Amino acid sequence: MDGTVSIALPTGALMHDALDLLTRSRLVSLSAEELGRQLLVDASGLRVILVRPSDVPAYVDHGAADLGIVGKDILWESPGSHYELVDLNFGGCRLVLAVPDASRLDGPETWPPLLRIATKYPRTTTAWFEGRGQAVEVVRLHGSVELAPQVGLVDGIVDLTASGRTLRENGLRIASVLGSSTARLIANQASMKTRMAAVQAVVAKLREGAGLDR
Amino acid sequence: MNAPCQWQGSRPASSAALPLRLCYSGPVVSTDEGRFHHRRETYQVGAELIGASGPVADAEVIALAARCMEAAGIRRYQVDVGHAEFFHGIMDAVRLPDDVKASVRSALAARDFVSLESLLEGTPLKSAEHELLLRFPALRGGPEILEAAGGLVRNRRSEAALGELARVRELLVAHGIGDVVVLDLGAIRDFDYYTGVIFEGYGPDLGQPVAQGGRYDGLLARFGRPAPATGFVIQLDLVSEMLTRAARSPQLPRIEAALAWTGTGLSTALRLGSTLRLFGMRTVVDTQARGGADAKTWWRAVGAANLVYCRGDAEVTWSAEGQRARNLPPEQVAARLAGGLT
Repeated sequence: MDGTVSIALPTGALMHDALDLLTRSRLVSLSAEELGRQLLVDASGLRVILVRPSDVPAYVDHGAADLGIVGKDILWESPGSHYELVDLNFGGCRLVLAVPDASRLDGPETWPPLLRIATKYPRTTTAWFEGRGQAVEVVRLHGSVELAPQVGLVDGIVDLTASGRTLRENGLRIASVLGSSTARLIANQASMKTRMAAVQAVVAKLREGAGLDR
Repeated sequence: MNAPCQWQGSRPASSAALPLRLCYSGPVVSTDEGRFHHRRETYQVGAELIGASGPVADAEVIALAARCMEAAGIRRYQVDVGHAEFFHGIMDAVRLPDDVKASVRSALAARDFVSLESLLEGTPLKSAEHELLLRFPALRGGPEILEAAGGLVRNRRSEAALGELARVRELLVAHGIGDVVVLDLGAIRDFDYYTGVIFEGYGPDLGQPVAQGGRYDGLLARFGRPAPATGFVIQLDLVSEMLTRAARSPQLPRIEAALAWTGTGLSTALRLGSTLRLFGMRTVVDTQARGGADAKTWWRAVGAANLVYCRGDAEVTWSAEGQRARNLPPEQVAARLAGGLT
């Protein structure tokens, strides 16, 4: 394994941009179909692993991958021992508090003593509201979060949005922005130390490919 | 468990002359979910050198940690050596508002260089210290990086830290472990706890350090007995994970003497076995009587370095690998084996 550097890429929205980045960085040129079929490709000294977005930090933190490309939103939810090295500036989206159009809720001054919020991001949501002195009851959902306020399950939702279209379509509006997310390059802590030259060489190419020169 | 805590509590040890060398081994139960989220109980060995400051003491402890990793059977390993004061000096020197400094610290603690970069970008002046912070994870290598870093820092604390690191490195070369030492100025650790030289041991293909340690001169004062101290801990769970994953499984320690017997030779064999064990030799006494040829087969199966065949109490037959068998009184065989003679 010593010469080979492994990188974990996320399935889903970031995959195409991540593969483009590998091509632009002159590391390896892979099609989404090829990687989607094989999940693990060894090519020109680089091992590319395709995993679910929320699994990328696990692969990197445990050293199964030296590097990983992952949205900042995932890192908010699973902080770990990895290095967060580069903001790759793609896959931009915002984590927002959204409430039904008709709701009286807006800024902090309108919040009731206890807010009920549905989200796929319980950790970030709890930390953000607690940081503002707001008690919050987080309802953890795994999909179709937009539905929850419409049927009276919660006061609002905390979810990721790129264009805001899904929210609008479900009769929701943005009340607050919790944070902005883009794709990040992360690295295993031991790889950065025990195999620094090989890993740094790949990091440098990725920086260049992403149009950053440091 | 923590050796300095035991030192505080134990009267014979607390009245002993300094410096004091303590070690411990055992299970550590943590209530902190964050640190050991997958293991509540971990096994550790650790050692501390209390009451000695300076590079000689630092190097002694680092060398001991390295030898422990080696003794544990980790074949390829690396020891990263850094200095907490290098970081403190830089943080003193950067001119930033206190709240930004606090954010810089927490970004570094989280190894979040994206946040760090945007924090520093938002500040007006770009200093060499800014550059150093941004390049933190890359500040690693041989003695040449001390010089390179020396050209960039302009503060006493960091400069003193570089001087100490240079000395520690020299001493580690003298300890015979110069080839596994990497200087790591960008080591990110608990900077409120560590006050001086810090280090981490890495083995092959494991995503985290197996050994961690450093100087914590401030800790013991908080328990009412100020003393400089340095020490380390090795996570045995991680060592065992590394060994079981290795391509070649670790070798069991070799048995040094196999004692076979027949007839009245059993009591001679038992007596000789006790003597050899007193001298620290790994020894087995056979569970059944055997004839001469059978004893040799058993010897090979056991894989011991020596066979001693006991027929009576006057003389035994000693066979060592690659040597002709000799008949000697049992005391002489014991003396030669224990003395490492052939």
